[in-house]
Amino acid sequence: MSEAKIQSLAEDCLEVQVSGTDIAHKLADRLRSDAAYEEVVPGLQSVAVRFNPSRLDRASVAAQMEAAIQQIGREGLSAAMEEISIPMRYGGEDGPDLAAVCELTGLTADAVIALHSQSTYRVELLGFTPGFAYLSGLPEPLDIPRLDVPRVRLPAGSVGITNGYSGLYAMAGPGGWAIIGRTDAVLFDPIADDPFRIRPGTKIRFVPQ
Amino acid sequence: MTAEVVAPGPQTTLQGGPRLGYRHQGVPWAGAADPVSLSIANRLVGNPAAALAIETSFGGLRLAFLAAADIGLAGALADATLDGKLIAFHETIHVRAGQTLSIAAPATGLRSYVAIAGGWCGSRFLGSSSTYLPASLGGLEGRALRKGGLLSWNTGHRAQEALSTPQALRPVMQNGWTLRATISAEFDWLNEVSKEQLFSQPFLIDRDSNRMGVRLKSSPLEFAVERQLASGPVFPGMLQCPPSGVPIILLADGQTTGGYPRICQIIRADRHLLGQLRPGDRLQLLPRDAEAALGLLRRKGRLLRQWLKEDVLF
Repeated sequence: MSEAKIQSLAEDCLEVQVSGTDIAHKLADRLRSDAAYEEVVPGLQSVAVRFNPSRLDRASVAAQMEAAIQQIGREGLSAAMEEISIPMRYGGEDGPDLAAVCELTGLTADAVIALHSQSTYRVELLGFTPGFAYLSGLPEPLDIPRLDVPRVRLPAGSVGITNGYSGLYAMAGPGGWAIIGRTDAVLFDPIADDPFRIRPGTKIRFVPQ
Repeated sequence: MTAEVVAPGPQTTLQGGPRLGYRHQGVPWAGAADPVSLSIANRLVGNPAAALAIETSFGGLRLAFLAAADIGLAGALADATLDGKLIAFHETIHVRAGQTLSIAAPATGLRSYVAIAGGWCGSRFLGSSSTYLPASLGGLEGRALRKGGLLSWNTGHRAQEALSTPQALRPVMQNGWTLRATISAEFDWLNEVSKEQLFSQPFLIDRDSNRMGVRLKSSPLEFAVERQLASGPVFPGMLQCPPSGVPIILLADGQTTGGYPRICQIIRADRHLLGQLRPGDRLQLLPRDAEAALGLLRRKGRLLRQWLKEDVLF
């Protein structure tokens, strides 16, 4: 952790590479409390800091990033996050791609549902669109590619699978994942200070209804 | 105080400042695609630079005012009329109750802005009222303007004085653009020929462009390394190159994370012009290092700040 590699994304944006999402989120939280950056965004193996160059100096942003990495290295990572159960309706209107997933994997619908709901997932990253959660822990037989033609609009609560991840749509929006089910759990509250219920590190289990 | 949408145009939305600080939760910025033109339009009516304005794309807007108002037009220059009589961009304009504003398609550039004294009203979400169409956030129920819809604005504020944007500060619209860029994290993944091509061969702007991204047309860029990139942070102004070799530059509504190599980033001082690239335009990129980019930003920021009396949104 001591050999931090800071690279330039732009004159107003620096990125540091890290080993995984645990450290990425911890570092991002730390940096967010350090200074008024425009954005601190974790990726699967990186954290980017975007700053306003008329307020902050590029060299001191880099130094702050170095210091934060050192500090986190000394503190170690925090304990396990909360685990939540999400009721799911698989297939039908709620999971329009379940049949296609059966065809791609050679599994029956019941087998797909059993596989998908037996695993405990972990929220690795929020990204792409508002509140969209990338979940690791997808059983390997369900690893299928992205849809050829993405859907323009998916309802909130849709759950998809693609490229080794399961994904959870907190809000309605466009998406290219194969949708196998949907939950009525409220994952997004527009008037809350922090409108997204799912946070990085959260463990998730899907419970068929 | 309201105005009725007589004709909305191809894609007209309410846009102000960006929704900053929530990209780690997947929330894109939204906001004016050309924030400098937004700031200039707002200045004409005495609003803060980030106040909500109407952003047209290819014009086509007709708006019937049910009450008197002061407005300011900026961005892509187009024929604009009040009850059929031509009015100027970059001037404070007084509109009387009952008058109809029309904005035609611009000859060059893409997006025009209509600011109103007091600011247009939109629903606020996470610190900004800018419209984000893909998830229906902000603006007017998160949607583009529709025929017959009503827009309201905050009253109790009139433009203090009639203003005119200084000539030197009016962004110049063109069909051939030269924008400067700094290289980004995965630039070195390109092969030598493509590195050269990036800054020597002009791109064409593809028809498929929108507020999420500007798609370019060119002979494909080629990679020297075949590597998978773990999904990582991306930002408006970033040029990404998918496996097809045909790049995309992210715009105001661009997603927060992505897995395509990040080749270069348009410098902050030039980024606002991305909002004016229209299908068929030519784009030439010029390389700049970070120091030069910061110098250009300081110079442009100083010029604009003298007129806007506040920091520019870049």
